Amino acid sequence: MENHPSYPALSSVLPKYPRAAGALFQAYNDILFAQQWSDVEVIDLASCSRGAVKGRRPQTDETLCVVPCSLAESISTSWLHDAFKELQFPKEIYLAITSEDASIVYYKISRGIVKPPV
Amino acid sequence: MDTRIRLRVSNEKAYVWDVDDITTLRSKHHICGILTGTLPHLSQQNVFLGVPLVLMPEEVVFLVETELAIIIDDPRAHSGPSAPILQKYNDERIEAINLQISLVEAREAKEAASAGRAMSEEALRKRKTREQRKELERAKAAAAADSTESHTSLFVPDSSAHTSEPSVPQPSPTPAPTTPAYTVIVPPSSSSLPWYAPQTRTHTTLASARTAGVWTYPKTLHERAKCGVFRGLWGKGYFMGGGIKFGGDYLVYPGDPLRYHSHFVASVIDSPTSNLRPMEIVAHGRLGTATKKAHLLCGWDDEKQEVSYFSIEWAGFG
Repeated sequence: MENHPSYPALSSVLPKYPRAAGALFQAYNDILFAQQWSDVEVIDLASCSRGAVKGRRPQTDETLCVVPCSLAESISTSWLHDAFKELQFPKEIYLAITSEDASIVYYKISRGIVKPPV
Repeated sequence: MDTRIRLRVSNEKAYVWDVDDITTLRSKHHICGILTGTLPHLSQQNVFLGVPLVLMPEEVVFLVETELAIIIDDPRAHSGPSAPILQKYNDERIEAINLQISLVEAREAKEAASAGRAMSEEALRKRKTREQRKELERAKAAAAADSTESHTSLFVPDSSAHTSEPSVPQPSPTPAPTTPAYTVIVPPSSSSLPWYAPQTRTHTTLASARTAGVWTYPKTLHERAKCGVFRGLWGKGYFMGGGIKFGGDYLVYPGDPLRYHSHFVASVIDSPTSNLRPMEIVAHGRLGTATKKAHLLCGWDDEKQEVSYFSIEWAGFG
């Protein structure tokens, strides 16, 4: 992991939260290289004991927040609330759910009752 | 008079039998329930259902807490009828049957009298033999009924019975006396029965119903969470239906379900620290997106008596 080109950008949080390191590493690489987001940065999300990722999707201006988590973890609504709070209540957060076989899926989570697009 | 909705509770299930109450529930209080009544001879059909309306327990708790409804302990509201009342009930029932039969017979007679092709000699002869046979059978049936009555003495131990010759087997009573067909009326509601006294078995609060052992929901944290979430969503103007078809606790409609599609499937989470597996988020989110519904995680906080909502959708990438 230390020899990976992404490591320097992640080195501030990966050793700090070893339990969430795998999920963050996988989500960060997917966002940067597969999804090709721009202005990707890693931030410390202490309340959830992990790093989070911010960036913009291609051809968009809005900065989105991605919180990685592993499929094997167990989270809670207070965990979600803490994530929103520490990220200063963005409109939504994207939960990046990672599995051991390197597949990843993103779900958009909004606070409150938000109608789905028609 | 008390205008509150009458919830007739039996075995911890609440039924609404009064059609006006069902209308009020739906149009004024945004509570739909499920119609479950079907026809005795077509009990398999489930397309056109009628009274009674069955309510979800959360709906019952909400309605009683907001003083929109009262709970009636239905089994205990029925007392054993006294002999004269039962006699009167039976007399009325038999009278109704006789009335039906006489009406049918009158109609048949009229049809026979005004028949065209049925007036041929052949037809008349056949009809005559048929009527004679009927008459005979009726007489036989009456005789059989009489004889069964007298037979009862046979069952009384009788010393002489042992010594006497084995009696010739009696012709067994005609199995079905030919009573003309009539409709059996199953009374749908107890309201008109003289031995039904709901006033004496009414609970206006959940506490009173709980003490009496009539209604004990909510008992657990999960049940309290469901009641809290139901009340919260109702307060925002939504209609709630059962969510089993979409893997949640409720389907959440923006208006009457007959007019609107639901926008959300809601699942209830008992407490802010309850475990939530990411797989649930994937499953709910994926299904919701495929059905053009968002999934709502409704987190109950029993200390603050508050609900917090999170909406889940597929992100659209990855």
